[in-house]
Amino acid sequence: MADAAQTSKPTWVQRLRGILFSQEGILLLILLGVIIVLAQQNPNFWTVRNLLNQGRLMSEVGLVALPMTFIIITAGIDLSVGSILGLSAIVLGVLWKGAGLPLELAIFLALIIGSLAGLMNGLFIVKLDVPPLIMTLATLALYRGLAQGISQARSVTGYPEWFFIFGQGRILGLPTQLWLFIIFTILSIIILRRTTLGRSLYAIGNNPVGARFSGLPVGRNLLIIYTYAGFMSALAGVVFVSRVTTTRSDMGAGLELDVIAAVVLGGTSIFGGKGTVIGTVIGLVLIQLLKNGLALSGVTSDATIIVIGVVLILAILVNNFIQLKRTS
Amino acid sequence: MSSRLDPLVLLPLILGIVTLIIYQFAPFVIQPDLGATSIPTLTETRSNNEFGVTTNGLILIRIAAGAIILLGLWTLTNNQLSRAAAALTALAGILVLEYFVVFWRDYAQEGATYLSSMGFGFWTLLGLGILMLLQAAIPRPAVAREFQLRSLAANQESAILLALVVLIVTIGIASPRFLATRNILDILQGNAYIAVAAIGMAMVIITGNIDISVGSLIGLLAVISGRLVVAGAPIWLAWLTPLLIGALVGLFIALIVTYLRVPSIVVTLGMFSILKGALILWTNGQRVTGMPEGFYLAQMKPFGIPMSILFMLVLTLLAALWMRYSGAGRSLYAVGGNAEAARLSGLSATRVVIMAFVLNGVFAGIASVLYATQLQIIQATPPPALELFIIMAAVVGGVSILGGKGTVIGAMLAAILLNMIRSGMIFIDFNVFYLQAITGLLILLTVLIDLIRRRRQMV
Repeated sequence: MADAAQTSKPTWVQRLRGILFSQEGILLLILLGVIIVLAQQNPNFWTVRNLLNQGRLMSEVGLVALPMTFIIITAGIDLSVGSILGLSAIVLGVLWKGAGLPLELAIFLALIIGSLAGLMNGLFIVKLDVPPLIMTLATLALYRGLAQGISQARSVTGYPEWFFIFGQGRILGLPTQLWLFIIFTILSIIILRRTTLGRSLYAIGNNPVGARFSGLPVGRNLLIIYTYAGFMSALAGVVFVSRVTTTRSDMGAGLELDVIAAVVLGGTSIFGGKGTVIGTVIGLVLIQLLKNGLALSGVTSDATIIVIGVVLILAILVNNFIQLKRTS
Repeated sequence: MSSRLDPLVLLPLILGIVTLIIYQFAPFVIQPDLGATSIPTLTETRSNNEFGVTTNGLILIRIAAGAIILLGLWTLTNNQLSRAAAALTALAGILVLEYFVVFWRDYAQEGATYLSSMGFGFWTLLGLGILMLLQAAIPRPAVAREFQLRSLAANQESAILLALVVLIVTIGIASPRFLATRNILDILQGNAYIAVAAIGMAMVIITGNIDISVGSLIGLLAVISGRLVVAGAPIWLAWLTPLLIGALVGLFIALIVTYLRVPSIVVTLGMFSILKGALILWTNGQRVTGMPEGFYLAQMKPFGIPMSILFMLVLTLLAALWMRYSGAGRSLYAVGGNAEAARLSGLSATRVVIMAFVLNGVFAGIASVLYATQLQIIQATPPPALELFIIMAAVVGGVSILGGKGTVIGAMLAAILLNMIRSGMIFIDFNVFYLQAITGLLILLTVLIDLIRRRRQMV
């Protein structure tokens, strides 16, 4: 039967079924349901103003969730992204205010430092075979500690007006960081679907030894995606500083859990080898809209994290159940 | 494997126990007018005690004896380590003797005639110190060829113990106040609950799973315990309820992990949010105060030892023995090491994983009671990143994140080490803002040492 399905072209019913019962399809249905319920609950929810604002708030987690999708597809994980965000924010603030560098250069250097921090994760994971969970657990503490040490727990404020464009401004009606997020999302989709680098990530996640023996540059590709994660965390840091107009060393604490929740909710398997960027984006939007809708309905933000926890577990359960039905 | 136990292997262990007993209970000084006085009289600061003796060395005796006992017990499970235990015993002997040297130096300065009034404990401890030093020279034919300095670093536990000793001595030299009994006890006491939670975490990680929700769980259970007793429930109920609820939460997680096949990292990530949200929602950020007098379990001191330290040591010991010698305990390693082989040999992985998570919940419950009762108030939010700290303790202690490897003794030692570093840094006026960076570096270091060791074993 499997052969028959492969040789003959799938009918549109089969195609539709395939789309519907994929993780993304299910998530999309859940998302639609959530939107309908929330829109009926509160008239302020389904307004352009509110939705754009949510897009603004979502972008920082979103920027980091893109490389995290890559990493989790390779069966790795990066817990240090929140700390890299904090570290690059501090580097930005200290270089600009403390060292007196021009802000443009400080931003550039902050992005470099973030990328280097990611590269260091990658080097230990690739060259020394340290499990990613341990390595990034260590650098979670290390980078945050450096941020605190460099800043001496002092905050930096007084950024010039033009800098706020990243976090508070709009381009063509959309928040600036949403543009960044959209650009990098498209870039990530293309990388993951159309390049050998992207396709090799699945192979690495499914069978790292097999991938190496098939001549794939496993080490190099891993280095690239961990560096990418560092870079994106730093970028999110710059956006974060611009949005809240101040630099503090505890910025981005706990970000890693939000990011991983979005990626996993989006159907990326924590065991590797499976996942899409689209899924991550849907997961991200779902979490953000749930947070927002519940807040608009008068639910406190603390109660919303309960709902997100439940949704996370339920979404995985439903998906497991449906995948089980499909295979049997 | 040979099960023959060389009686000489027990020597360091016996010396350690005897030292501790003598130190704790034997009369140290016999004063004509007051009668026998035990050592605790001497442990006050120099200005307070009647001899005017520097007493920094005294705390070392207790630490050294405790370390020897731990290492000695664990030597019973690993014959190769008897030489390491002997070497460490000798090191402890030097520490004991160091105290007496200091005593005599000060005695000569004071010019008093206390020497004649020294009691049974004084001379026995002195003799023991010499014996501890000498026993390293006793030939142990059965294990003699294992006598290599490298064997000291042959496993994570002894490496951490060594790091702990080096750390204590270094910081002690830089700032002798660090070695004051009170300070050391404060450090151990304040963080014993982390070591207790690390026991359960070690079990979960050994089966190849992980629990990210444990920090939120401890926070929630602590508040439950406090609110129960404030609401008028009997104190024993307030102590036991967290254990029960912890076990239930563990069971719930385990059922989803095993029967519904959701990875534990995802389930506990979800539970992390759920429990944390529930806690904040329920308490509204209000901390719990006004618990009755008898509630403060962690502040009790049976035999002069703080209860939380007692809990930490006894629970670690029980868990270590259970995991080493009982079938159920060993099955944790079997499932984590090679699930397929475990299944083929008739072990139910489902049952073992459920057991690990339930036990983890119980240990989180005990940790929460210790946390709730150590101060007069219970915070509405648990310490930030508590779960990471607990996972770190387990991992630095040598528990392999891939499953199947590690011991709870290592986890406990690592928990102590991490806390010692934190407090020690403050004592030597290290820039406190870099504390976390040091912790991160330390984890990296232990991981690297572990890697080098594994490579050497493979060759």
